[in-house]
Amino acid sequence: MTNQVLSLIQLCDSNFPTGAFSHSYGLETYIQEGTVNNQATFSKWLDVYLNEQLVYADGLASRLVYQALEENRLDEVWKLDRLLMVQNLPRETREGTQRIGERMLHLVESLYNVPVLQQYRERLKKKQGFGHPVIVFTIIGHYLKVSQRETTLYYLYSNLTTLIQNAVRAIPLGQTAGQKTIQQFQPILMKANEKIQSLTIEDFGIVSPGLELSQMKHERVNIRIFMS
Amino acid sequence: MHDWTGELRLDIENRHGKSVAKNVYFQGALKVMRPVYHDDSGQVCYYILNPGGGYLNGDRYQLSIALEENAELILTTQSATKVYKTPFKQAYQETEIKLKAGSLLEYIPDPLIAYRHAKYKQINRIHMEKGATFIYTDVITPGWSADGEKFSYDRLQLINEVYLDGELVVYDHIKLMPENQNMKELGFMEGFSHLGSMMVVGEKTNAALLDRLYEAVKLDADAYKIGLSELAVKGFTVRVLANSTQKVESVFSKIHHIIRQEWFDTAPSLLRKY
Repeated sequence: MTNQVLSLIQLCDSNFPTGAFSHSYGLETYIQEGTVNNQATFSKWLDVYLNEQLVYADGLASRLVYQALEENRLDEVWKLDRLLMVQNLPRETREGTQRIGERMLHLVESLYNVPVLQQYRERLKKKQGFGHPVIVFTIIGHYLKVSQRETTLYYLYSNLTTLIQNAVRAIPLGQTAGQKTIQQFQPILMKANEKIQSLTIEDFGIVSPGLELSQMKHERVNIRIFMS
Repeated sequence: MHDWTGELRLDIENRHGKSVAKNVYFQGALKVMRPVYHDDSGQVCYYILNPGGGYLNGDRYQLSIALEENAELILTTQSATKVYKTPFKQAYQETEIKLKAGSLLEYIPDPLIAYRHAKYKQINRIHMEKGATFIYTDVITPGWSADGEKFSYDRLQLINEVYLDGELVVYDHIKLMPENQNMKELGFMEGFSHLGSMMVVGEKTNAALLDRLYEAVKLDADAYKIGLSELAVKGFTVRVLANSTQKVESVFSKIHHIIRQEWFDTAPSLLRKY
C-alpha cells in the first residue's frame, strides 16, 4: 500500500466530518414502515441501493469523471456534476448530497492544493456547479494517482460503511451485526465495481422505483433521525 | 436515420385566444384525430392514434410537438400503447417537445402495456422556456402473458429530459428488466403491479403546494404507495405504486385538479380517463 492510498482512505474514514452520517437515502422510510428491521432485511435494502442506484449514479460518475480528468476534459466533469444533481429527483437526497459535497470540498481544500478543486469551488460560488462528494473524491483520487478502479471502489466502500453505521444506530443492529454486514458486502462491492467498468453514459441515472419513492416519501416520515 | 415506422409533427399557436395547429404532419403508423375543444378556454386537445395497433420488433416512432407563446394543448392517446414481442430489436420512441413562454402542455398518454418478451425504449426531451407549464403522466402496467405471469416483458426503459432555457434541469431514468431484478421485492415494485410517474414543471410551484398535494393524496393508503418531491427547479415529480391503472389515475387526477384549480382557475378537461 502506498502513501497515496492512505491519503485517500483518510477521506473514507467515518471520522471525516462530511455530515454523511445524518443521511439515510430513504432507508429510514423502510425502517419506519417496518420493512427493514434486522440484519437480513437491511442487507437486502443495501444490496438494492448499491446495485440499482449507486452504481448508475455515483459509481458510474466516478469512473467517467476520472477518465475526463485523465484526458483533461473539464467540461465533461462539470457536465457530470449537473447530471448527478438533476437525476436525483427526491429533494432531500439531492440537497443532502449537495451539502455533503460542499462540506467535503471545504475539508479537502484545507488539505490539498489542487487547481481543479479551486475551479469547482468557483463554479459552486457562481451557482454553475452543484457540489457532489463523488466529484470531490474522484478529483482527489486522481490527484493522488490512485487508479480509477481503486478510487471508485473506496468511494463505494466509504458510502456503504457509513450507511451500515447509520443502520446500526437506527434499526438498531448490534455492532457485530454491523461488522458482519461490512464483511458480507466486500465481494458484492468488488462485483459492483466490475459492473461499473462495463457501463456507459447511456446507463447513467437509472433508479429502481421503490427506492426512489421511499426517498421522496421520507419528507413525510413521522419520526426522523436522518435528514434524508 | 429517417426510417421511422411512424412520425408525427404538431405545431400549435395561439390565435386570438384560441389554440390552433399551425402545422400538422403525420406519416406511417402514427396519426392524430381531428382537434377537440373540451371547453371554451381555447385549449386544444389532440388524440394520437397508432393505426398499427401496437409496437413491434424494431419499430421506431418520432413525435415533435411545438407550442408557440401562450398556446395550450392537451395531448393524449386514443388507447393504451401496446408493445409486443420484440425478438431481435427493441421498439423505440422519441418525443421532442418545445414549449415557449406562457404555453401549457398537458401530455397524458394512456398506459403502456408491454407483453411477453417486449423490449422498449422511450425518450421524452422537453425544451421549455421560463414561464411555460408542462404536465406529464405515464403509467406502466405489468403486461400480460398466457400463463398469467406478471412482468413477462424483457425490458422497459423510459427517459425524461427537461431543459429549461437550454439547461438540463431534470433527468429521469427508469429501466426495468424483470429477468435480472426481483420485481416484487423491496426497492423495486414492492408487491405492486403498476408504476405511475407524474411530472409538473411550472413557476407557481412552492413548498405550500406540496403540502396541499400530500394532504390530498393520503400517504397511508394500503391500496398504493406514493412519493412526491420538489424538483431542482420550480416543479415536482410523483411516483405511485399500485395494483391498477384506475388507482394510479385517480391519484394523478387529484393532483391534476389541484394544479388546474390553483394555477389556471379551471378543472382539468374531462378526458375519459379520469
